[in-house]
Formats: sequence, structure tokens, C-alpha cells
Amino acid sequence: MSNEHSHAGNPASPPEDSAAGVMTKCVACSRELRSAVVCDYCHTLNPIGAPTDYFALLGVPRLFNLDADELRRRYLELSRHAHPDFFTGGSEESQVLAMTISSSLNDAYRTLSDPFERAEYLEELLGGPSSAVDKTTPQGFLDEMMVLQEELTEARLAGDHLALERHGETLRARLAQMMARVAELFADFESQLGCEGIRLECLGRIRRQLNAVSYIRRLVSMTAGT
Amino acid sequence: MADENDIILGIDLGTTNSLGAYFTAGGPKLIRDETGNGMVPSVIALAEGKVSVGSEAKRQAVLNPLTTVYSVKRLMGRGLADVQQELRFLPYHIVEGNHETVRVEVDGRLLTPQELSAIILNEVRGRAEQALGRKITQAVITVPAYFDDAQRQATRDAGRLAGLDVKRIVNEPTAAALAYGLDRKESATIAVYDLGGGTFDVSILRVDKGVFQVLSTHGDTHLGGDDLDRELIDLITTEIQSQFGSHLSFGPSTRQALRDFAEMTKIRLSAELSATVEVDLGEGRVYRRTITREEFERRAKPWIDRTIDACRQAVTAAGVSVEEIEQVVMVGGCTRIPLVRRAVEEFFQREPYTAINPDEVVALGAAVQAGILAGVQRQMLLLDVIPLSLGIETLGGAVGKLIMRNSTVPCRASEVFTTSIDGQTSVDIHVLQGERELVIDCRSLGRFRLTGVPPMPAGLPRIRVTFQVDANGILHVSAVEERSGRAAAVQITPSHGLTGEEVDRMVKESWKYAITDMTAHRLIDLRNETQRILAAIEKSLARAGSVLLPAQKQALDAAVAALRAAAAGEDADALWNAMSAANDAAMPLTQAQMDAVLEQTARGRKVDEF
Repeated sequence: MSNEHSHAGNPASPPEDSAAGVMTKCVACSRELRSAVVCDYCHTLNPIGAPTDYFALLGVPRLFNLDADELRRRYLELSRHAHPDFFTGGSEESQVLAMTISSSLNDAYRTLSDPFERAEYLEELLGGPSSAVDKTTPQGFLDEMMVLQEELTEARLAGDHLALERHGETLRARLAQMMARVAELFADFESQLGCEGIRLECLGRIRRQLNAVSYIRRLVSMTAGT
Repeated sequence: MADENDIILGIDLGTTNSLGAYFTAGGPKLIRDETGNGMVPSVIALAEGKVSVGSEAKRQAVLNPLTTVYSVKRLMGRGLADVQQELRFLPYHIVEGNHETVRVEVDGRLLTPQELSAIILNEVRGRAEQALGRKITQAVITVPAYFDDAQRQATRDAGRLAGLDVKRIVNEPTAAALAYGLDRKESATIAVYDLGGGTFDVSILRVDKGVFQVLSTHGDTHLGGDDLDRELIDLITTEIQSQFGSHLSFGPSTRQALRDFAEMTKIRLSAELSATVEVDLGEGRVYRRTITREEFERRAKPWIDRTIDACRQAVTAAGVSVEEIEQVVMVGGCTRIPLVRRAVEEFFQREPYTAINPDEVVALGAAVQAGILAGVQRQMLLLDVIPLSLGIETLGGAVGKLIMRNSTVPCRASEVFTTSIDGQTSVDIHVLQGERELVIDCRSLGRFRLTGVPPMPAGLPRIRVTFQVDANGILHVSAVEERSGRAAAVQITPSHGLTGEEVDRMVKESWKYAITDMTAHRLIDLRNETQRILAAIEKSLARAGSVLLPAQKQALDAAVAALRAAAAGEDADALWNAMSAANDAAMPLTQAQMDAVLEQTARGRKVDEF
């Protein structure tokens, strides 16, 4: 199954392809755009041209290990120039453009600010297998979960809030630990420049790890009640 | 028409009270009357074609309970099935309208909640125009954060009916945060607890150097001070019946009086430990009772507990812990209730912040947003969220979520649809709002019919449908058939609202029904109309005065004199009556002229024909 995903259509390796690599120029002042849509210098909104990924939209490097504060700072800065509130007196086109760009920025920030969503998004962007294609999890994970899920269901049926809370805490700790592993795997991937085989293997591992994370996330929501 | 220098009025359209405010260089300012009062009770009295709004309408509510409409906000964007709970308590008549909406039957007319809200908006606008001495055509109107799409649209339509260009619908708790956040420089996470007359909202926000980002919002559009009043009404009614006999039923006037008693008692119990109620039931029967604060709190507690549950959910959805919330802002008259303050303090583990009058803070915030939109306040930016998820009906009555709740607006999602029959040229999409998995558990927003799909074999068309939620939290749907590149037309049948045509028709009719011609510019409009009528009468008299009988001529002269006198006065009602009288008196003249015109045309035609 991973064959379909091996070579064709993969976005190329980070250096040439990261946001810093693809340099487009602002339609108004012709300076280089850091974000694909909002000029950092003259604040002109640039139409969203060719398919643009979330990293390029926000003008941050295409990496899993992003600085959360920097990401947020970028998002707020761009929103300050692209939000429809600032275009109510403008032309119809500028209003539509502001709404389109703001929608994309919001979408991008929502995805990239959540580590799990960011991992899923990046995995897809890098050409890794989707969860529909590869449903496997790391070895031994499901056995471990089976027991836990049974306990959870019991606690839920019995309305045992204390037990649910305890499980919730354990699961959240586990989640944090698993996401730390995801971060390591992405770092591995990024360090393996030029070695396509190892990189693919990394993406496979990330997929399995993310499948497990997704599973735990569902269990956590079970402990939260509704 | 929308001049950049025009003032955009901020309006808090409340369940019990409405207020207006505007933005100045010195910050937002509330519109107040001569007595310093900024609140217009959201009460409308309609009788014999006359409309009164606010305190005046509220005062006579006990006398005319059937023609006094209040709490109309609870009906906005709702169907009859949604307001069953309200029906028990609202004395005026509510009937079913088109596509699952309601109409209020009052003074021999059927009015939509939008039209009634427009009357209130118009009153607020009229006051502002009087205070500022200029015409106001643009507004920012606030809504509960938990209002769904239909309720937001209904509010926007009400604005349109009041002749206002609604620049933005803003969520009430967010507006309150804006009002509070003016001097804030650093960043902080805050909670806004907003318990109003009919709705409850809680929002968690992150404030970062002037950017107000809503992280999550939760609420209940069926929970407010009205419900606490009802607890007291229930208590009093039950006791009266057990004391004087269960056969005792209450007429609308008594029920209205009880409502007033309950509201006053609730307010008094915030300051005092007990309050005495006395109801004179006639025939020497007097019900007298001292209600203690503790007794009231016991009855109010289940309601307040529900608000705290909502707070818990909002905090979880925001992805923060209670300890991280640095400030809790209180909004709405009900936050004066000591029990509410205690419950909020206990949950958030900090003393709530109440520096701004909780009744006024939302209107002030609306004015700040108006300042942002007018371009005079560029340091601040509001990033709000959609309160409920949006989805579409999929096979088997399930809901496929397209936009998750608490997503920052504006936001968009798109989905590709195709056809199932060869040559099919239209596709139906059912859009829903809510968190549940099944269509029957979610709220239907409407059915969208995409037409103009080029005929192709089944499954071949690729119709990309874009769901765009704007900064008002209102959904727009557009569609393109990707193979042909042709835009498909989208026809909308709202589930709980008015169609565009219905709103257009109402805008046209509003003048006729004397809905927008009240308050300040009613007089101006009437005077202009008077000038027109006087000129017309003069012209007709010169042309056809001879047809009048002496008595008719005398009556007309008297009516014209009376009309001139009324136009010089300040009484709009008197002017209106004088205008009608003059119109009536001029009737024979008009008739004669019409006949003459008809005769001429008939003659003219004959000449042509032969």
C-alpha cells in the first residue's frame, strides 16, 4: 500500500520547499512575501494563488517542532491586517478577499496550533500514509488498550466519576508522552536528508504512532463525560 | 449612502432592556435620556394602531396584558415547537408562521418577532438621533454568543426592518470583554459570565495586546432572569391557590401584576435578606408573604447550577485550566444576585470583576466594535468563534460535521457533491447546526437547492459547495460545478426564519404599518407628509374646488386649519389624526378629480379609436 505513496507527488524535501524557499513577491510593493497572503511590509492582501499550505500561509518553517508562541504571534499579526473588520469601508472585492484570507488564516492556525492536528497535517503534506490506508498501531498497543477500555466502560456505566477522573489523568499523561515520541520521529525524519528510504520508514512510524494517539484521544473524551 | 463619517450605533438588543452607545475619541458613550437612564425596556404596546415602546409600554402592561409584548428575543429565529416553555408564561398570543417561525397576534395583526424587535431597535435609534442630533443608519447589534444561525439572521433582519444597515452582529460576552479591555496592554486569559434576562452565555477569551481571541463559548438560550422570576411567580401562585382555593384562576392582568411583583422581589432580595409581597385579590382577599433570600436562593440554585456546568464545559473546550483564568467579568442584571456571585467565585476561585455596570457593559462593547468597523479604533481586534458545529445531512439521517464549534470566524469548508440520476440538474443539501450525531437531534438551518447543474451522466458532476461563515457567525452557501466551471444557483428555504423576499416585503410594508415611523423622526416624517398633503389639497382646490358643496368646503377648510396647527405642534399622534382628518375631508375633492381624469382618458381614447 505504501507503494502508491512512495515517490509520486511527494512535496520535495524541506530546504527548497519550506516557506522560506518559495519566494513570491507582493503585488503592491514587490518585496518578498514571508506569508503567502499578507505582506509584512505594506500589509497588502495578496490573492491566494497556487495551492498554498498552512505553513506558507502563516509564513513559518514547515516543521513539526514549531515555537508555539512564535506561531501565535505570526497568526495575530497577520490577522491584524487581514481581518474583515478593517475592510468594511472598502470595495466588495477587498471585503471578499479579506474574508477568504482570514478564513484560511484561522483554518491554518487552528490546525497548526494543535500538536496532533499539526502532526496529521504535516504527515499528509510530506506524503506519509493516511489513516485510511494504514490503520496499524505500534506493537502491543491494542492489547494494552483493550483492558483500559473495559475499565473505562465499567466506570462510565457505574457513574464512577472518581475512577473516570483518575483514568483521564493517566491517559492525558500517556498522550503527552506519545506526542513527545511523535516529535522525536519528526526530528528523525528531518535529519535524514536525502535518504528517501529511511524517510519513508519514519513517516510509517509516525503514522502508527498517530493512530495510537488518535485512539487515546477518543478515550480521553470518554472520561470527560458528554 | 453609508458615509464613512456616519456614526455606527452600538445596540444591545436585550430580552428585558435594550441600550444604545456610540464610540468617541474618549471611549464608548452610552445614550441616556434627560433623567440619565440608558435602558429602554424591551416592551412594546400595540393598540388601535398606536405603538408605544419602553417604559411607557411597560407601565401599562398590567392594564393591557394582551396587547403588550415583551421578551420577544426569546422568539427570535424559533419555531412554535421551540417555544412551548415560553408559551405558558407569555400572556400575548403566539401563533405558527411560515417555515417553522412564530407570529405574535396583537392588535388584529400578525407580527413577526423580527418586526417587533425592529420597533425596539427603532426606539433606541430614535433616542440616539435625538441625543446626537444626527441621522443614524448603521448599527452593530449584539446577540447571545450561543445564538444559532437562524437567531442571528433574525436579528440582522430586525435591523434591516428598522432601516439600519447592520454592519456586524457581535456576541454579547465578547462585546463586554471589549468594553473592559480598553486599557489592557499585557496578555491575559479571561472568562465572561453573562446572565441576562432570557439567555446565558459564558466565553473564555485570550487577550493579547489588543487582540481579543475567543477560545470557547457555551451557553443556554433558554435560561435567564425571566426563569428566576417564574420561580417566584410559581411560589406565590401556589400559595395563593392553597390559601384562597384552587379554583382561583388568574386573568392576564393579574399574571402580569405577579410578574412585576416577582421581578421587584428578585431585585430587592439582592440587596436585602427578605422582601414582602402583597397581592390584593379583591373581595377583601389579600395575600401577604415575606420571602427570604435563602428561600429564593433554594429555588434559583438549580438554574445557577446549570450555568456553572456550562462554565465547566467552556473551560474544558478552551483547553485551559480554571487556575489559568486571571479575570472573571460579570455581565447582565442577574449577576447582581448574591447567589450568582458566590457560585461564580467558587467555581473560578476568584472574585468576579464588576467595575462596569453589568447592564451597560454590552452596549458599550458594541460601540467599541462599531469604532473598530468605522476605522477609528485600529488598536483592537476581535476574533470570535462559531458557537455550534455546522454539518450536512448524510445517508441514513446522520450529520457530517463540516465546521466544528469554537472555530474562529470567518471560516469556511467545502465539500464535493454529485448526482445520482442521469441528467439530474439539481441537488438538495440539508444544513444543520448542533453537536449531536443525528439529524433529528440537531437544529435544521435550512435546505439549499443547487440548480443549474449541467445535465451529465449520474455521478459525473463535481459540485463543490462552499460553506462560508462570515464574521457575524452567519452561514453563506455557494456552489460551483467543477467540470463545467459553472456556478450553481443556491435557493434557500430557511427552517426557522424569513426568506429574503419576506424581509423585502416587510421593509416595504413597515411604513404602512407605522412600525418605523415612531419617535424622533416620526414627527419629521409626518411634517413632511403634511406639507405634501397641504400642497396637494391647495392644487386640487384651485383645479376642482367648484365641485364641493358649501358644507364640504367648510369642513375641508377647518380640517386644513387644524392640520396646519398640528404640524406646528410637537404631538405626533395629534398630527397623525389631523392628517387623517384632512385626508378624509379632501375625499370628495379627490374623488371629483379622479372622475374627471377617468372621463378625460375615456374621451381621449374614443378620439383615438375613431
